[in-house]
Amino acid sequence: MKVLEIGHYAAGYAGRLAVRAGYDVVRIQPGAPLPAWASAASMQAYLHAGKRCVASADAALISRLAEQADMVICEAGAADAIRALGFEDWQQPCKVAVTPFGLTGPYQNRPATPATLLALGGYTQIMGDAERAPLSLPGHYLEFQSGALAFAAASAAHLAGDRSPIDIGMLEVVMALSQFTAVRWHCAGEVRQRHGSDFWSVAPSDLFRLQDGWVYINIVPNFWDAFVALLEEPALLIDERFQTNDLRMAHRDALREIIAQAFAVRTRAQVDARAEECRVPLGVVRSLEDVLHEPHLTERGFWEHVAVAGETLRSPGLPYQAAGVPRPELDAERPADEAAW
Amino acid sequence: MNKQPAAAVDGPLNGVRVLDLTHVWAGPLAVRFLADFGAEVVRVEPPTGRGPQQASYSPLGGWLGGAPGERPWDNNAMFVKLMRNRRGLCIDLKTDAGRQTFLKLVGQADVLVENFSAHTMQNLGLGFETLQAVNPGLIYLTMPGFGHSGPLAERVAFGPTVEAMSGLTDVFGYGVDEPRNTAMALMDPVSGVNAVAAVVAALQTRRRHGSGCKLEMTLHEGGVSYCGPWLLDQQLGVPAERWAARHPQMVPHGTYPVAGDDQWVVIACADDHQWQNLFRILAAENLAEHLQAEWGLAARRSHEAQIDAAIVKLVAGMPKVTVAERLQVAGVPAGAVATVPEMVADPQVQARGFFVAYERHATPMPGNPIKMSSMQPQQWRQCPGLGEHNAEVLEDWLGLSPEETQDLYTQGVLHNRPPA
Repeated sequence: MKVLEIGHYAAGYAGRLAVRAGYDVVRIQPGAPLPAWASAASMQAYLHAGKRCVASADAALISRLAEQADMVICEAGAADAIRALGFEDWQQPCKVAVTPFGLTGPYQNRPATPATLLALGGYTQIMGDAERAPLSLPGHYLEFQSGALAFAAASAAHLAGDRSPIDIGMLEVVMALSQFTAVRWHCAGEVRQRHGSDFWSVAPSDLFRLQDGWVYINIVPNFWDAFVALLEEPALLIDERFQTNDLRMAHRDALREIIAQAFAVRTRAQVDARAEECRVPLGVVRSLEDVLHEPHLTERGFWEHVAVAGETLRSPGLPYQAAGVPRPELDAERPADEAAW
Repeated sequence: MNKQPAAAVDGPLNGVRVLDLTHVWAGPLAVRFLADFGAEVVRVEPPTGRGPQQASYSPLGGWLGGAPGERPWDNNAMFVKLMRNRRGLCIDLKTDAGRQTFLKLVGQADVLVENFSAHTMQNLGLGFETLQAVNPGLIYLTMPGFGHSGPLAERVAFGPTVEAMSGLTDVFGYGVDEPRNTAMALMDPVSGVNAVAAVVAALQTRRRHGSGCKLEMTLHEGGVSYCGPWLLDQQLGVPAERWAARHPQMVPHGTYPVAGDDQWVVIACADDHQWQNLFRILAAENLAEHLQAEWGLAARRSHEAQIDAAIVKLVAGMPKVTVAERLQVAGVPAGAVATVPEMVADPQVQARGFFVAYERHATPMPGNPIKMSSMQPQQWRQCPGLGEHNAEVLEDWLGLSPEETQDLYTQGVLHNRPPA
């Protein structure tokens, strides 16, 4: 399977999935790299290991390569930029266009960044503290999600032999991935607000400080008794203020204070061990360094190994893995010339 | 994959049969994409799968139609949103007859998706080895929180708690000592979307090589994978930071207060050209006295506070939509921080017809961001009632007669309402 990847981080993520599916991925990056959340070396290693890269962004070359490909994932900052690449004229491949607003509509050629799209799409309004400026989501969530959907759509189209153009707008990706915000408005007339780390509709749910770190809890009613056992605060079970989720929500400030005091004298290791004993869903906050040394991930063979600046580093494998199939060891991206295929 | 499609909308996966045993968000989200792609999806639920007959609390997304109705278990709006384009089978897999019937369905399926905790299917006597023996070509996608192996395999997992373990907390929050959780269960859509890619890729592989497979997609590894670039930087000695609403490689990049209570606009300049466009606007309002159009990223970073101060003055007292429109037209990325009603009313959202009113009470539901000519939202089917298609599915897939189906009801294997 030949995949032509044109673009930046959405197309790059699609190509990442394609490489690990065993496809032959040739990448073209038109123009300078877009701003990223990590160093160029890390973005390169994470997204482009195992690919070949053609340095030229000549439109005629791109069209020649597209007509030799089985799938084309084409990402650009506006609809006209997609058209300028010749997207609508390519006949051979299954082809996906990924743009901020899609190929139609009044905004199709307007500029955007992931942060402006998250704002328009309703995410930003509900992230961060209630009385402060909302937070923006760091990282390439929107591009990676769009890229995964682009890969899935192109692959599905290829299964069906469908070569009609596929149009993905990132704003719609944001809106499609909302848990209940939109239906709550349409069905209950309620507008979801932001409350910091508190999930709000379930109590208790929040981030709490430990002696040596933080822990996040999200205690749905089924786990209330087990959580009380974890905290070793049996009085909570008979306290009339906390008998039901509705009551816990009504008295959340008092409950938060009790829980904060209980956690403040405990360590991460203690809380982690108690969570396992009591079977309570909570997450002791792991730093990025912690994650790199997480025994669970190592034992599961999650890490790939990539060469970056003369060192061999651990890079996350795909989020999915076929049983019995080891993670691939991929070479760094190689240059390719115009005769890539 | 050569079966005639039945009870499926048009799409590239016509002919693919999927058994859906998912619940909550990540799994159902993945299956919704497969159903939108035209796969023939049968949702397999236990009698208690949608809660009790009497609702004891309001669901997070409210009730479809605004009230529980006569069948509250069919009216949880957040559930309904995820369940279009499939048929509903309610079967008790804890009975021998239920398991045997289910295994026959497995024999007819191409894909099975579940997101139970690690040993649930095995404990039902329906582990992968059993399913594979019935159907060697089955693509089996399991989506447990932490996987079926490893020290964390037995842990209970919810999206928000797994987020805390993914590394994301190192980079999300207001500052050094102010971490935050997104409180949006972000790990669920990360897993759900990647699961779609996993299934379709596996269908491609099966077409080439003929064999099925077991795929494992965990919430935890989805979240860690999302943090991949930062994890690489961590090893390179590039420290992670919490940037709040700022960005390491864009200046300006922030959330700015506008007219009204809790009203904001996001403005970002991804390159020098966009900065120059913004500079012209600031200059036109006499706000650029201490700024320079030719500043590159490094210079803008060293003058970030001044730039932000100028922007704050520019947008103060203006409606966010007015600000965003003016900047967008001038070539500066800007987005009004929208509440849901504002988002739904946005001209672009309206023009693209993203929300589709196919459900009961003409309730608009989020659409599919993938637009393909073979996928037509006007064909979309409503969420099935619990057990609504018991007889239809068993006849279609297994050739069961009405009498045989009735016998399964009599045995307590099939249901169409929760237990009293």
